[in-house]
Amino acid sequence: MFQTRDSGADDRSQILHAEGLRKVYGARTALKNLSFSLQAGRVVGFLGPNGAGKTTSIRILTTILQPSSGHFVVDGISSDHPEEIRRRIGVLPEGLGFPRQLTGLRYLTYYGELFGRATAEARAVADQLLDEVGLKARAQSPIGSYSHGMRQRLGIARALVNDPAVVFFDEPTLGLDPRGQRELLGLIQAVARQRHKGVVLSSHLLSEIEGVCDDVVIMNAGEVVAKGSVADVIGQGGHDPIAVRVRVPVSALDTARGLIEALPSVRAAVPADDGSGWLGVQLVPENGSSDPGPRTVNRILETLIAADVPIAGVDSGANRLEDVFLRLTTETIQ
Amino acid sequence: MTAPAASAPVGVQTSRGAPPVWWVVMKQELLELWSGGRVLNFLVLFTLLMSLTAFLLATNTELHLLDPEQTVVVALTSALTFGLFIGLAIGAESISGERERATLEPLLLTPSGNRQLVLGKFLAAMSPWPAAMALTLPYMAALSQGRQVLGEAVLWGALSGTLLAGAFVALAMMVSIWSNSSRLSLFICLLVYAASLIPAQLPTEFLASPGGVLITLLDPVESSDQLLSKVLTSGEPLSQAWPYLASPAIALALALGALFGYAAPRLRLTARG
Repeated sequence: MFQTRDSGADDRSQILHAEGLRKVYGARTALKNLSFSLQAGRVVGFLGPNGAGKTTSIRILTTILQPSSGHFVVDGISSDHPEEIRRRIGVLPEGLGFPRQLTGLRYLTYYGELFGRATAEARAVADQLLDEVGLKARAQSPIGSYSHGMRQRLGIARALVNDPAVVFFDEPTLGLDPRGQRELLGLIQAVARQRHKGVVLSSHLLSEIEGVCDDVVIMNAGEVVAKGSVADVIGQGGHDPIAVRVRVPVSALDTARGLIEALPSVRAAVPADDGSGWLGVQLVPENGSSDPGPRTVNRILETLIAADVPIAGVDSGANRLEDVFLRLTTETIQ
Repeated sequence: MTAPAASAPVGVQTSRGAPPVWWVVMKQELLELWSGGRVLNFLVLFTLLMSLTAFLLATNTELHLLDPEQTVVVALTSALTFGLFIGLAIGAESISGERERATLEPLLLTPSGNRQLVLGKFLAAMSPWPAAMALTLPYMAALSQGRQVLGEAVLWGALSGTLLAGAFVALAMMVSIWSNSSRLSLFICLLVYAASLIPAQLPTEFLASPGGVLITLLDPVESSDQLLSKVLTSGEPLSQAWPYLASPAIALALALGALFGYAAPRLRLTARG
């Protein structure tokens, strides 16, 4: 049952709700039964390999594609009213093109007018948005002279010209250098936190999702394989999450494995399949948590040092979502 | 099922004094077409072709092969033929070009409605025709050698040319709506354009036969040429020549009906929907 605009304060904070979205192209099902909710001020990440159905999902939720079945509600407006939904969403599509000869200011003013703003108002909003995304100094330059990162920032500004309730970003950092990626993700986070918008971020980069998103929907082959808060999804991933990783020379892998597994708090030490020398250490959960305390990590390292096993690297487990993602997507493929 | 709310806490509602979307799109398209140099390139080519045509016609007049009235009609029909091509080329690129440049999606994401987008683009694509007609005036003035035919030629040329330009731009935009590539849409449009010029190559005797008249009436370009010839050189009154005006008018009505009634609401991100 979808909420209406008058259905109470709690529902109003739920800015996007999708129920059973499905898209079929002939015999191929591109999206199967996507259901999720998003609250204002939060970022949900759509995570999945290429062809998982992320872009299809976003195109349905942004009214570009019609679902074969299912419904969604944006800011209290049902998907039966796509033009009204478009007033309430902003979108940065994947691989967005720009008219090269237009200036950034003219481009944003144009889109402001398309959303029904009077010219002077559209220009004022464009000015403000250019300032917010750090392009004020280049407002009068043709877009053709912008770098890729600047164009993406302009794309974020364009997605905000109509003061939307929900903003969709489809693979926004594709092709950006690490600094550009970080800056853009900072802007996306600011859209959610400072402007109090609901944000849908699609990506196949786990670090992006893990670093920026509050919630995550993991998709594979058009199917949702896990969803929830990032912490919950990591919990859903399996009984033995990797708590910490230690890298040792490949020649010392068996020795290190034996030493670590002999520790009482360790359930298993699993070598990485790629022969890189990484050992994923799974802990015995204590009080329902398998998070490694600093002492547990210290004990593992002390044991290896005492046995004169060279330590080439330690990873505190910040990429645990990656393990869940790989496990879930591999299981689905198999 | 949730009805749209009358007022919204977020999302822009149309401001008082905001221009209609078709106007915004048309303004933007005109800016891109004219200041981007595309239309100007076409008009330079148009002027060159008209100069060549006028030179050949003037030579024929010197040799007393053609009357000034006939040379004006030939110049006018040439202007129509070249001018239509400009509208056709711009219309054929109007939507598929946006697809190729990945700029269509943000337009479809606005709440404006596809008809308004298409109307703005249609009007902008029509803009080169008045310019082409204006450029034709000096040639016709020179070729008419002061005869009264000039005024009538401008009137009938502008009327039939506008009907034809509208029909061809609408047709080209329809093709563009269902093409993912501008090359494909331009190729299809050029085939139609070439087919519309075929009747002009048929023998005069055949065109005078009932079958020839039918073909002429079915082809709005040839029909317009016949109209200009009959009104301007043979002096036929409109009461007799009107079927030749009806053809481009019907073509325009059909093309506009198909474009705005059928194709525009079906405009999608990809040609296959």
